[in-house]
Amino acid sequence: MSVVTEVSPDQKKLTIAVKGRFDFGRHQEFRESYERLPHKPESIVVDLKEATYLDSSALGMLLLLRDHAGGDNSDIRVVNSSSDVKKILAISNFDKLFDIS
Amino acid sequence: MTDPHVDREVLDTLREVMEDGYTELLETFLADSQSRLHELQDSTSAKALSDVAHSFKGSASNMGAVRLAELCQDLESNAKDKSPEALAQLVADIHSEFAEVRPVYESEKHHTHIH
Amino acid sequence: MQAQEPLTILIAEDSAADRLLLSTIVRRQGHQVLTAANGAEAVETFKEQQPDLVLMDALMPVMDGFEAARQIKALAGEALVPIIFLTSLTESEALARCLEAGGDDFLAKPYNQVILAAKIKAMDRLRRLQATVLQQRDLIARHHDYLLNEQRVAKAVFDKVAHSGCLSAPNIRYLQSPYALFNGDLLLAAYTPAGDMHVMLGDFTGHGLPAAVGAMPLAEVFYGMTAKGYGLAETLREMNAKLKRILPVDMFCCATLLSLSFQSRSVEVWNGGMPDGYLHRMASGERVPLPARHLPLGILSAQAFDDRTDVYPMAVDDRVFLLSDGVIDTCDAHDQLFGVERLQQVFAANREPDRLFEDIEQALRDFRGQARDDVSMVEVSLLESAQAHGAAPVYSDSGQSCPLDWSASFEFRGATLRRFNPLPFLLQLLLEVHGLRAQSGALYSVLAELYSNALEHGVLGLDSSLKRDATGFARYYEMRAARLEALQDGFVRVHLQVQPQGEGGRLVIRVEDSGKGFDVARVMERPVDNVRLSGRGIGLVRQLGRNATWSDQGRSASVEFFWEIEA
Repeated sequence: MSVVTEVSPDQKKLTIAVKGRFDFGRHQEFRESYERLPHKPESIVVDLKEATYLDSSALGMLLLLRDHAGGDNSDIRVVNSSSDVKKILAISNFDKLFDIS
Repeated sequence: MTDPHVDREVLDTLREVMEDGYTELLETFLADSQSRLHELQDSTSAKALSDVAHSFKGSASNMGAVRLAELCQDLESNAKDKSPEALAQLVADIHSEFAEVRPVYESEKHHTHIH
Repeated sequence: MQAQEPLTILIAEDSAADRLLLSTIVRRQGHQVLTAANGAEAVETFKEQQPDLVLMDALMPVMDGFEAARQIKALAGEALVPIIFLTSLTESEALARCLEAGGDDFLAKPYNQVILAAKIKAMDRLRRLQATVLQQRDLIARHHDYLLNEQRVAKAVFDKVAHSGCLSAPNIRYLQSPYALFNGDLLLAAYTPAGDMHVMLGDFTGHGLPAAVGAMPLAEVFYGMTAKGYGLAETLREMNAKLKRILPVDMFCCATLLSLSFQSRSVEVWNGGMPDGYLHRMASGERVPLPARHLPLGILSAQAFDDRTDVYPMAVDDRVFLLSDGVIDTCDAHDQLFGVERLQQVFAANREPDRLFEDIEQALRDFRGQARDDVSMVEVSLLESAQAHGAAPVYSDSGQSCPLDWSASFEFRGATLRRFNPLPFLLQLLLEVHGLRAQSGALYSVLAELYSNALEHGVLGLDSSLKRDATGFARYYEMRAARLEALQDGFVRVHLQVQPQGEGGRLVIRVEDSGKGFDVARVMERPVDNVRLSGRGIGLVRQLGRNATWSDQGRSASVEFFWEIEA
């Protein structure tokens, strides 16, 4: 499985870890990871520690996640980005929408 | 006692498979074998002997003539190595082995009912 | 277990007894049997009857089983006709020959019915699998053809929309693959009424029709607004709003927009999500990077959208170079990226600026081993004199009812000055007067100059002498943005008066501002200086319009335009 989810015991935090190539092939899995939860989490962490590559469809998936989580009211952090991934996120200025580290 | 010359179980299976065609099969085999024996006599090269032996071996084994098939295998594998005398002997052995089993197949022609 | 479907099976065997035996066995298993006594007969029978499967004796006269198998396999083409060799060959070399000849399996003598049935079943399964694969492949190929045709149609429609631009202008050089549209790449260029040039290099997410479909509404907005005289900021706001409205949440368009002003020797830049562009200063050889400071179009709501641009001075012959990420993302055989560093190396090594594209393409070819199809590059230079515009806009009214005797006054105050650009609207109003249409470029340039002087120097109190060098230039525009944001009071008034005169008419434009004014006499005395970045505005107004005067200590400017009706 290249998309692994974990919900905190109090159901308030959802962590989604993406492994390998974060591209169009991950679309279905990624959506399912947050769409069918019984309780909507208050905060979401997208862990890219094992993500090797990110393309524009991944950016699109992040936008869908943000939209689902409340848009401007969402609390989403993108963590453990490699320098390559960080570069891609920086060029697209996604740090204006997400907390990126 | 199992017959070293003809495997009776093979004959039983052939009889069952061929049904009414059993007689035709026997006749075809006997006719084929005759012509093969002639070819063996007429063959001059090791290769020719080997090829005829190979072919004969095939139908002999299908028909359950186990010893005949063994002899043909021997001739096929060793045709190039044996001396002309040894080859002639082997051909003669094949002839006599066929003579030995021929009556069995002849009599089978009259036993066409299933056991 | 599924029952075996009856097949047509060819038995090629030279021994009559074996052939008879095998035929009976196979017939008893429910199949239809064809026979052949040698290889040549086998091939002929195969040609005539097209059996589903072949049982082939290896050693046969006339043509042996190996050769017959080779020929039958060749005749079968893409379809799988399994060939099971009948053999009492034991040496592995002989068995290898069977495989090389295209045999799929072996059956040893003496024949075993059970084994034969199992092998036939297994081979038949493979045969049907192959048939399914070929069928699906053909289906996919047909679909692919439909898709290609749909794309052709979409491209034809889009080309009609896109052709209204000025990509063929002498100061633009570009490289774009013919199917760039379906890679999501978009390249647009258009003149403003004042003779400035707007250029956009865009990159939609995704590929194929979804990427292409967003390009059409975007192009319409770009061309429509640019032709009307809207600035970059307004055009960007409108494009962003449109894309936000029509595209799904996960789709967006990265874009770099430029507004080159030959008149004011500057370029205005907005980059949302594209790789760095480069402003190449010929005099110093410096390449100033133009990085992405914004999110791509179609993501932010109208309220959150940031339309702030950066302005850089340009000298004659300076160039702005933009490229899509196809260049940076080119991979070699080891999945290494071409990357920004290699691009910088190409820049550094480039001796002839006019050969920059060739140098980059060569570097990409060397790196990757072959050319790439989805690379977009554009280079826009600042050329000396005012260039001829593209075709004049076509008007649909007949002129019988155009307004010839009227006046209008406008006052734009405080907060309105911050966001509203009245120029396109004012120009549209004036172009209702047919006689003025031939001078729309000059009209717009003069209006824009007077308005921006009134706003920047008058209301905002900015000193244009700041724009004497690149640093001052940047500082000027920073201050402009800051003061505009903080603006509460102040006004700019525009008075328009149109009157018939002789066979034609006369337009008087007066622009007033609430600023401190300036020393008109001193500015008039200054010679027009082509090197300095400031101070050309007044010269332009005097050159394009007639009877340009300044009064009220410089707070009020007036200029006139005349026209004659052609007989």
